[in-house]
Amino acid sequence: MARMKFLCDTERCIECNGCVTACKNENEVPWGVNRRRVVTINDGVPGERSVSVACMHCSDAPCMAVCPTDCFYKTEEGLVLHNKDACIGCGYCFFACPFGAPQFPNGPAAFGMRGKMDKCTFCAGGPEENGSKAEFEKYGRNRLAEGKLPLCAEMCSTKALLAGDAAVISDIFRERVMHRGKAGEAWGWTTAYGKPEQARERAREQNREGQK
Amino acid sequence: MLTRKAKSAARPEAGVILASNPASTASGGVLAATMDRRTFLKRSGLVAGGGALATQLPYNMIGSAEAADAPAGKTGVEVKRTVCTHCSVGCAVDAVVENGVWTRQEPVFDSPLNLGSHCAKGAAVREHGHGEHRLKYPMKLVDGKWKRMKWEEAIAEVGDKLLAIRKESGPDATYWVGSSKQSNEQAYLMRKFVSFFGTNNMDHQARICHSTTVAGVANTWGYGAMTNSYNDMQFSKAALYIGSNAAEAHPVSLLHMLHAKENGCKMAVVDPRFTRTAAKADIYTRIRSGTDIPFIWGMLYHIFKNGWEDKEYIDARVFGLDKVKAEIMTWTPDRVQDVTGIPEEEVFRIAEMLAKNKPSTVVWCMGQTQHTVGNANVRAMCILQLVLGNVGVSGGGTNIFRGHDNVQGATDVGPNPDSLPGYYGLAAGSWKHWCKVWGVDYEWVKSQFASQAMMEKSGITVSRWIDGVLEKNENIDQDSNIRAVTYWGHAPNSQTRGLEMVEAMKKLDLLVVIDPYPSATAAMAAMMRKDGVYLLPACTQFETCGSRTASNRSIQWGEKVIEPLFESKPDHTIMYAFAKKFGFEKELVKNIKLNKDKQGWDEPEVEDILREINRGAWTIGYTGQSPERLKLHMKNMHTFDVKTLKAKGGPCDGDYFGLPWPCYGTPELKHPGTPNLYDTSKHVMDGGGNFRANFGVERDGISLLAADGSASKGAALQMGYPEFDHVLLKKLGWWDDLTEDEKKAAEGKNWKTDLSGGIQRVVMQVHGCHPFGNARARALVWNFPDPVPLHREPMYSPRPDLVDKYPQPDDKKAFWRLPTLYKSLQTKVRDISKEYPLIMTSGRLVEYEGGGDETRSNPWLAELQQEMFCEVNPRDANNAGFRNNEFMWVETPTKGRMKVRAQVTERVAPGTVFLPFHFAGWWQGKDMLEYYPEGAAPVVRGESVNQGTTYGYDSVTMMQETKTTLCRVTKA
Amino acid sequence: MKKALFLALTATIGLAACGEHSQVPSYKQGNYQGKSDTRPWEGAKFAGDKQAWDNALRARNQGQSEYNRVK
Repeated sequence: MARMKFLCDTERCIECNGCVTACKNENEVPWGVNRRRVVTINDGVPGERSVSVACMHCSDAPCMAVCPTDCFYKTEEGLVLHNKDACIGCGYCFFACPFGAPQFPNGPAAFGMRGKMDKCTFCAGGPEENGSKAEFEKYGRNRLAEGKLPLCAEMCSTKALLAGDAAVISDIFRERVMHRGKAGEAWGWTTAYGKPEQARERAREQNREGQK
Repeated sequence: MLTRKAKSAARPEAGVILASNPASTASGGVLAATMDRRTFLKRSGLVAGGGALATQLPYNMIGSAEAADAPAGKTGVEVKRTVCTHCSVGCAVDAVVENGVWTRQEPVFDSPLNLGSHCAKGAAVREHGHGEHRLKYPMKLVDGKWKRMKWEEAIAEVGDKLLAIRKESGPDATYWVGSSKQSNEQAYLMRKFVSFFGTNNMDHQARICHSTTVAGVANTWGYGAMTNSYNDMQFSKAALYIGSNAAEAHPVSLLHMLHAKENGCKMAVVDPRFTRTAAKADIYTRIRSGTDIPFIWGMLYHIFKNGWEDKEYIDARVFGLDKVKAEIMTWTPDRVQDVTGIPEEEVFRIAEMLAKNKPSTVVWCMGQTQHTVGNANVRAMCILQLVLGNVGVSGGGTNIFRGHDNVQGATDVGPNPDSLPGYYGLAAGSWKHWCKVWGVDYEWVKSQFASQAMMEKSGITVSRWIDGVLEKNENIDQDSNIRAVTYWGHAPNSQTRGLEMVEAMKKLDLLVVIDPYPSATAAMAAMMRKDGVYLLPACTQFETCGSRTASNRSIQWGEKVIEPLFESKPDHTIMYAFAKKFGFEKELVKNIKLNKDKQGWDEPEVEDILREINRGAWTIGYTGQSPERLKLHMKNMHTFDVKTLKAKGGPCDGDYFGLPWPCYGTPELKHPGTPNLYDTSKHVMDGGGNFRANFGVERDGISLLAADGSASKGAALQMGYPEFDHVLLKKLGWWDDLTEDEKKAAEGKNWKTDLSGGIQRVVMQVHGCHPFGNARARALVWNFPDPVPLHREPMYSPRPDLVDKYPQPDDKKAFWRLPTLYKSLQTKVRDISKEYPLIMTSGRLVEYEGGGDETRSNPWLAELQQEMFCEVNPRDANNAGFRNNEFMWVETPTKGRMKVRAQVTERVAPGTVFLPFHFAGWWQGKDMLEYYPEGAAPVVRGESVNQGTTYGYDSVTMMQETKTTLCRVTKA
Repeated sequence: MKKALFLALTATIGLAACGEHSQVPSYKQGNYQGKSDTRPWEGAKFAGDKQAWDNALRARNQGQSEYNRVK
């Protein structure tokens, strides 16, 4: 049984925003709504890392838990989708989501005036007929029904962002990690277990500026 | 949660279930049979089988609101393969078109260059298919307002004005700025077109991009292009990026680099800023902008000191290193540190990394080229690689990342002021060669020019056209000042001295913009004058077909995706229309077929233009890449190996992807192209080569030819030899290997002018030798102002003491037809750093490209960078009194003032500020929205950094010094 | 009289709790009430063949790893 996931390899992400525009392109999302964003930590100093974030399609989705109209549902592939017809734009899902995935087309506005919540659908559309005009207008493209994967991952410039069945993308990521030769390149490992090379760089940099 | 639908939505065609083999993930079979089948169907021309195609694509595929009301799942759906129009990586794009509307964009996993990847710009190209901010129809500035006009009127009026100016002041009173975004065919035709108009006053973006690279590198060893390729970097064991922010300028190239890095390659970045590329590097070193040569010499100092140079390689293939070494060894570590700011251990570290992890490669971009010593910078890099023995080696080389999508092609065959297509130069012999290919009378072409002298004199460069207008007439090396300028696919805000540029625009008699977007030219002109400006809508590369050359010299054929939008027309159609007005349309397309387009206009056939290039560009081997071969490559991308770019089996077996030039001989010779230049480990018929014999046979008694034993694999002559002409062939007894027809054509000719290609065929295929000879690379370039690359402080330097020690050379009287200041200006502004203490540098952002009007008109991109900004170090921000995200003023010695947002960050060191150059549409703090034609202003507008950039030009190519000048910052 | 008073008091005390409600909310899992969604493999392209759809995705996923084409 396919369980769809995203995985962003922070060693490869160069903050090119290809995933962001690919999503906008494929789903024709309006200005102000960004289903996917790239977040950068330590911007501008050694140790800079970027990661691409959209809906993580959580196993126990907080958005689904708090929605007053219960407009969310989970597909068999583990995707968290929602029904815009039932959405009242209250914004609770936005409060609940740790990733900020829910987006509102009318921006920060009063309760209910925000418009229908919009978020990453893993390019799987929504509760309308697969590939229909209604589905496209409300939810964007349904690539999954075409046997394709989310365009953000397919177009990632360095193949940092992976999307697909958990087993498959784990394999892809594992192969990279083996080649890298370091144990667990999942971000944070070196912070926990040793001084990262880049932190050393940073120290050297600061030292040099002290010399100036 | 899910409930099964009562009935599944079955369609009649749904009976076709595609066989997919999940096991076939091995080479080539990356995608399921689905993709291959679609490709097969499309390529085999079975498009009409709407039902069959429909199973590849979703039903009811309605994309944008403008899609025609098409019945579901019926015919009218096509997939066109083309290339992204932005940078020189050349990412392939599959455009899904339904009933003439571009509704979807799919990744091309098959492409060996990008493997389906895109950056923000490439992922957003579909917006070109419904660009709302386009220049929709011809317009003219009347009394300060933009008025629409008809095409016929526009051609007539503009044509009349140009003819009048030509009559009164001669053809050199016109200036034509061509484009690196034109396809090879369009750029080539432009060179011809402007030549027939009678002047060499033309140029394109390469001038302000890599002109110094081309000059410096070509003069070192033969060709001035990227020696290896993005893909080949996967073989590198170490890579140095200096003055290159590839993560933002060439994002997809990082796919190859990061893959290499994962497999052991070490990466070092040297840059004044801690860029996003630096964030991925193993070693990062900060350098003062404009001090590259001391750094490179500093590395070589350590390399020589430790005996890390490749002595065998140098002895066999390099000339003149001794004199250069003498200069290098004077650059002791403390001297290097004083000038560059880099401590010895950091210089040593990088030198060691490159020397001990071979093959190692170097990458440079604008950070090295855009300086007054750009030509010397690039030569220093070449010398570094020669000393390490890295040139002509897979995984080594000098990997120069070019800029725009076809800047390489435009440089090769396009509107250059100093050469004819193929770098033939402007001597009478070159003109005669091309006139023969063009099928026109040499005397007639000569008569179009003001004189033979003017015909053979390099034109003014795009970086200085403003001086052609503003400079005193007696000081310029042509009869008249420039009175008319045509900006054809080029932005104005990427050239320095913007404040003077608008004055020049005011003074012109006529300003014409031919572009898909009005561009900042329209706004700047409307701000300064009331009339005499015309805007003609050209279409983008997606609305026409043509070939474009990526940075690694591979040529890709792009199909036409959609018909030109609104009233726009392809560049070559516009050229023909003007040629008709000027009376030389027959000459322009003498050997080129004409077709009628959908509006009944005459359109030169693009494939035919390429065939004409094939018939004439022998010098750089643009002869083997026929349209047929290129199209075959695009259809069979998956057969090419990603690391070597060689096709393994399939219809293109043995070819290298895109037939990277030089692809010598006629298409019938089937030369496979040259993936890595100067590679002696391969046979010349397998893409091998050696350094070019272009500079004579000997100098000062020392031979310039390669040493005995040094030659490409399997060459009949295993030693150095000069370039081939009929005399040498006869001497060697190879003349009779030519066929009778070839002999007729080759008699009295050399390998560059033999139109039959026989000399190249015999030399290469029969005897395995290289037509351009086998010589040494020149570390000492005696025909350059500085034969040994020397450090010279930038024109505007923050270190007056170093200005005294390393000054600019003397001024030049008539350099590219204009007086050019060097030492006198530098002396005058020696102490200006007291008022302007910060170094101002500029560069790229990943979301935008070039002048930026095109990408800033794309809402998907514009949303990501909504304001012009300046990166300032916290120390400088605190001194100036502003905080992050507040407005600030950046002021420079030009008296330009730019109001931008402050981005306080440690990316830049104290003492340096950085501004992106992609913005335009604000002038000295004021929004220029009112000056754009209605509805055609870009979504995002901002200050153009080039309002503030200063005078300073490379001593060989007139490249502008944009990477380093001075400024001060204050709170707004 | 005493018995009636005793009964009344007891009843009052006993009923006192009826007016109070629990202060601690208990979470009730909701149920999706909206439109049903067609699964990806139902629909024209795969016509209900889940295995074919799964295979197609798996194969397509390989495009995200360049290691398949480069060693």
